[in-house]
Amino acid sequence: MYCRRLVIALQPELFDEDEEGTLIERKPIRYHPISVRDALTELKDLSELMIDLAYSSVLFQDNELAEEVLVLTERVDRLSYLLIMNASLAVRDKRDAEQVAGIIKATDSIHKIASAATDIAIVQLHGIGIHPSVQEAFKKVEERLVRATVANQSILCGKRLQELSLESRIGVGIIGLRRGKRWVLNPKPTFKLNPGDVIIAKGSERGTQQFLRLAKGDLKEVP
Amino acid sequence: MGSSKEKDEDESEGLAELLAELKDLSELMIDLAYSSLLLQSKDLAFCVLEIEEYMDRLHTSFELKALKKGRERIDDKGTLGLIRLSASAENISDAAADIAKIVLREIPTHPVLQMVMRESEEILETVTVEEGSSLDGRTLGDLELESSIGMRVVAIRSGHKWTYNPSPSFRLLPGDLLIVKGYSEGREALRRMASKEPQTSVLV
Repeated sequence: MYCRRLVIALQPELFDEDEEGTLIERKPIRYHPISVRDALTELKDLSELMIDLAYSSVLFQDNELAEEVLVLTERVDRLSYLLIMNASLAVRDKRDAEQVAGIIKATDSIHKIASAATDIAIVQLHGIGIHPSVQEAFKKVEERLVRATVANQSILCGKRLQELSLESRIGVGIIGLRRGKRWVLNPKPTFKLNPGDVIIAKGSERGTQQFLRLAKGDLKEVP
Repeated sequence: MGSSKEKDEDESEGLAELLAELKDLSELMIDLAYSSLLLQSKDLAFCVLEIEEYMDRLHTSFELKALKKGRERIDDKGTLGLIRLSASAENISDAAADIAKIVLREIPTHPVLQMVMRESEEILETVTVEEGSSLDGRTLGDLELESSIGMRVVAIRSGHKWTYNPSPSFRLLPGDLLIVKGYSEGREALRRMASKEPQTSVLV
């Protein structure tokens, strides 16, 4: 029992939450056909988002952002396994093997990038942190990243991104969002928001604070 | 002691700027490495390796600064955090360089990667400013490449210096290497603008 708890603490991506919120062992990853090209593109986008989230978590002392990095690790993990399975099936002869080696190597490298982002998030989660004066100075040069969950009473519910025009009105861009287990990176203008969506948004300090209030339902219209 | 406090602030600002640069450059490297793989472009792959080399030097100066900041207390967590961040940035840039090396080793990628560029897709590319071209001596502000041809300059290498997200006042000089992002039509237009061949109709 002790051992299992230790594994949960060290490798949260191997576990799932059931309806009551207790951790259960995750379903094994089984082969299904995917587009190798799309998977590699998604892995690249995910790793960039993870880096952004991880640095921001440390620089703005934000545990929520750091947790999101760990959630993304899970996605990267599954996707890289699937990608390698799909690429392996394309091998029929020596020439194929040579060509697929590059794809597998690239997948592995992106996986390493994701691990490095996790290491950064851990600096925040383990309470190591960096000098507060560096954090202060950093706030002057970088945009703020926040995580918001869309509440039932939020005016964001059921709205398309283009109707909200958050970018032009409060200078906030949505760079990714999670709906249940599904991730949508760089959502299209026609994307419609639902209650429960977990959004990663980027913008000025003021804009992101307004965005958090919009998602919570405290602010009833986009300023 | 006002002066020592000021010095501390200066140090912190220096560290914060370097940290921002490490972060931005690692994201750029991933994007470049991916584009080099997709387009099988050695030019882009070389760019990744050059940035990696540049990052190595940034790390050294960042870590030295971080250590200097923690000089009074060796058990300083803040310094440990900075060193960890820097080590992770190093790992990221190494991994991006590994992707670029796949292209440089001339390992062709399998057709399952479907190398066709999609129209809806923005891709990174490099352009070198030639002497006497229509980019030579102009600032990014008066070129307005984004609104005229839809190309965004994400980074510039002039000499040994890399500038990420250059400001509108940035003046282009012969030999500058631009890393641009945009759709395929814009890329052709930009290539024409960067070359010194006499142009009949250059849209600016």
